[in-house]
Amino acid sequence: MASVTLENVSRMYGAVTAVDNVNLKIKSGEFVTLLGPSGCGKTTTLRMVAGLEKNTGGRIAIGDNVVSDSEKGYFVPSERRRLGMVFQSYAIWPHMTVFDNVAYPLRIRRRPDKEINDRVMNALRLVEMEQYAERPSPALSGGQQQRVAIARALVFEPEVLLLDEPLSNLDARLRTQMGDDFRALQQRLKITALYVTHDQAEAMALSDRVVVMHGGKILQVGAPEEIYRRPENRQVAAFFGTPNLLNATVKDCRPNGGQYYKLSVEGQGWSGDCHAATEMPKGADVTVMVRPENLHVRDAGQVNGDLSWAGEVSQAIFRGSHRSIMVKTPAQTLHVEASSLSHVDIGRPVTVAAPVEAAWAVRN
Amino acid sequence: MTIIHNRPLDDIAETAPTIAGNAFTRAFSGGSLWRLIGMLVLILILGFLTIYPLAMLLYGSLHSTPPGMAGEFNLNGYRSIMTTQNLIVLANTIGISLAKTIPSLTIAVFLAWIVARTDTPFRGTLEVLITLPFFIPPILTAMAWGMLANPQVGVINMVWRWATGATDPLVNIYSYGGVIWHMCQYSIPFLFLFMVDAFRAMDPSLEESSRMCGASRWTTFRKITLLLMLPVLTSSFMLSFIKGIETFESALFFGLPAGIKVITTDIYESINHRATPDYQYATSLSFAIMGLMFLLVIWQWWMLRGKSFQTVTGKGFRPSVMELGPWRWVTFAFCVLFFFITVVLPIGQLMLGSFFRFFGFYTYDMLTLEHYRAVFANSEFWRAVRNTMVLGLLGATATMALGAIVAYISVRTRWRGRNLVDSMAWLPWMMPGMVLGVGFLWAFAMLPGPIPIYGTIWALLLAYIALGTPVSVRVMTGAYHQLSYDLEECSRVHGASWFQTMWRIMVALAWPAFAVGWVLTFFGIMRELSASILLYSVGSETLAVVLMKLWANGNAEQVSVIGLMMMLLVIVFRWVQLSFIKSRISKL
Ligand SMILES: Nc1ncnc2c1ncn2[C@@H]1O[C@H](COP(=O)(O)OP(=O)(O)OP(=O)(O)O)[C@@H](O)[C@H]1O
Ligand SMILES: [Mg+2]
Repeated sequence: MASVTLENVSRMYGAVTAVDNVNLKIKSGEFVTLLGPSGCGKTTTLRMVAGLEKNTGGRIAIGDNVVSDSEKGYFVPSERRRLGMVFQSYAIWPHMTVFDNVAYPLRIRRRPDKEINDRVMNALRLVEMEQYAERPSPALSGGQQQRVAIARALVFEPEVLLLDEPLSNLDARLRTQMGDDFRALQQRLKITALYVTHDQAEAMALSDRVVVMHGGKILQVGAPEEIYRRPENRQVAAFFGTPNLLNATVKDCRPNGGQYYKLSVEGQGWSGDCHAATEMPKGADVTVMVRPENLHVRDAGQVNGDLSWAGEVSQAIFRGSHRSIMVKTPAQTLHVEASSLSHVDIGRPVTVAAPVEAAWAVRN
Repeated sequence: MTIIHNRPLDDIAETAPTIAGNAFTRAFSGGSLWRLIGMLVLILILGFLTIYPLAMLLYGSLHSTPPGMAGEFNLNGYRSIMTTQNLIVLANTIGISLAKTIPSLTIAVFLAWIVARTDTPFRGTLEVLITLPFFIPPILTAMAWGMLANPQVGVINMVWRWATGATDPLVNIYSYGGVIWHMCQYSIPFLFLFMVDAFRAMDPSLEESSRMCGASRWTTFRKITLLLMLPVLTSSFMLSFIKGIETFESALFFGLPAGIKVITTDIYESINHRATPDYQYATSLSFAIMGLMFLLVIWQWWMLRGKSFQTVTGKGFRPSVMELGPWRWVTFAFCVLFFFITVVLPIGQLMLGSFFRFFGFYTYDMLTLEHYRAVFANSEFWRAVRNTMVLGLLGATATMALGAIVAYISVRTRWRGRNLVDSMAWLPWMMPGMVLGVGFLWAFAMLPGPIPIYGTIWALLLAYIALGTPVSVRVMTGAYHQLSYDLEECSRVHGASWFQTMWRIMVALAWPAFAVGWVLTFFGIMRELSASILLYSVGSETLAVVLMKLWANGNAEQVSVIGLMMMLLVIVFRWVQLSFIKSRISKL
């Protein structure tokens, strides 16, 4: 397994910049996910690594070898990059059996029949599809096709595995299960994987690191928890779920001993402490992010040191796993995710509270 | 705030990446040199097949003598076609084509509706029967109808006289009506095939909601079905009209004897039926008709711009059909009648003609097998069978291969020059067989001495390939459009080169369409008369040409024998096609 390096990689379509100056290093054995809204350039980035698209700027290396360098006009075609890829449509060739599909990368490389047989069966076993080897491939369900596509991508031990929204055609339950299975497989085989998705939950659950993209640019790269809890800007913060974003002004800023800073902030009708990545001058305008699942609804007036807002319940929606409660405060309406067992009456005055660790400030 | 995407690169490249491969592999990475060579070869081939004969046509029309003879450049050719007589020829051509297109389209729409949208019994079988005439060479039906509706000795008129005691014939095939009648027999199944899928793909709820609003079946058909079909009807109309202008056989058999001339027969006559062939006249006229075709194609394009063509989705989507009640037997009878008139009658006539000593004298003591013996003993016949088969097999294969390559390049690559290749392959669309024949006549004559194509079977082969290419490109384009790009790219990523991908994925997946196109082209070659008749020479006759020669000598009996054989061949081929290919793919 090899690393993948993208240096200042860009891709223009006429005047449209689909990918804009992307820098990324994927370590060997690492699982990196490209995440972003539709049209942000994820697929284009992946296809440039695959060699299906030429980068118009920058260079790409797989392992220690440059595979594409736009300045030097150097380009290694797809088939010589030793990659495995799972397409969104799976691209299972309908005129071949499951076995033939998986054997294809080996047959192309003219391996002996014995070896082909062993490795194909191994790969199929890995995805638990060995009993389907002789099936004609159109006679497979979506989930089975997806497994075959993974087996085919893994069969000749590629340098890097590329996956473009491989789970998006599956139903919700299967998606989670296949995702977990695939993550386990990736961990076991130590595969370098570059994975594209627009599903945040999937990205969190699978990846070592997540790359958040927007408009062809990388907004932030980091471990899932890092990105979720400590986004670098409002855009990244807003991308995951429906966080509460409150405007505030910095009153005080001091290092908290670790790598972060502790801020005292004041908003409309509330004040309190929160964390931030960088030092902020006094009086700076910031956005404080508090996630709905970290907020608690308490009886009015009950305050114990944390951030708190006074308001009244304006809406409560039962969602099965939890209850969405809207609380109208002087600052803005806050979205709280409460236990589905909790019961609140609409119109009741309450206090909404959050621990300091749950509040994160980014500069406007 | 740190800006991550401009972070310095030192943590990115731990070891400096190296560029693998030597200068040579670098220069040719992506196979651009081979691609360039390949494109050049393709452009040369297409150029030879389409541009070159066209250029020679232009040369011929401006030059006073045939190639190889001293002469001068002048406009006499164009001057000589500007006559009032030719105005009548032009009016005939357009008038006849219009007169056949309108009834053909009406009947074809009706048939397509019956087969695709109603509960008429045995629709599947009816569909096969209705489309059969499309595969029968028009020359066969022309000869059969020449015998059936001959004013003196035609069976129809003899029965009529016997039944009514009248002395005047009921029908005379040698007339405007006869020409149009014969053209319709080919046009109707052609249009049917062109439209039936669009009828099938239509959402039935659109019709049903009209019925719910209180409209009768007939009103629904007129106001909803027809209007929804308007784009496909328009394109069918234009296509049929253009084909009508190109048609040669009908006007040759039934028009010329009655003094009705159209442009194609006029070109033919000026070369074959004059004491000294007037080549400059023929080439000028050819160029003029091409101009006309060009205008029509532009018009077609203009009428259809913005309108979406039929999109056949039809994935497991089985539209409900309209229940006709007792009327379904009427529609059934209509289809059977169509089949009877266009297939059974001509075949019956050919059988009749082949077993009696003289055509027109059908009495018991005239029964004989001598015509079969004569045909089977005729070495020219066997040579023609061999030629037709060789040309059909080679021609269909080469045409489809060319079409497959051109379609691939224009649909699935972004190579430079793909539009050029595509339009070159489309050029013969505007050239009637007769015109292309004249062009190739010149083109072969102008070739330098050591390339003796003229007078050989290769001359015919090249003309057939040129004539068939637009259709083959179209068939393959459709096929490629249905294959997702992923299938191809997936193969590349997993290590297959471009050629391996072509062979193992594209060819493997596109071959059913290839096979359909192959059979179509094969039938096209068997049918071809107008270019063959100009380009054949002794030794390279095709079956159609042999038939023509026998017919011209008044040997209707042997014509019947050969015609019957060809019919048999057509039916066998069609049967093979339906049973082996149709099971795998949608029909054409
Ligand atoms: N062949 C092309 N020509 C022109 N523009 C293109 C082409 N391919 C992609 N683009 C543009 O590049 C941008 C990025 O496209 P890309 O397919 O990478 O998006 P994506 O992030 O994969 O989105 P999705 O989640 O919808 O798949 C889009 O704005 C798209 O319109
Ligand atoms: Mg995408």
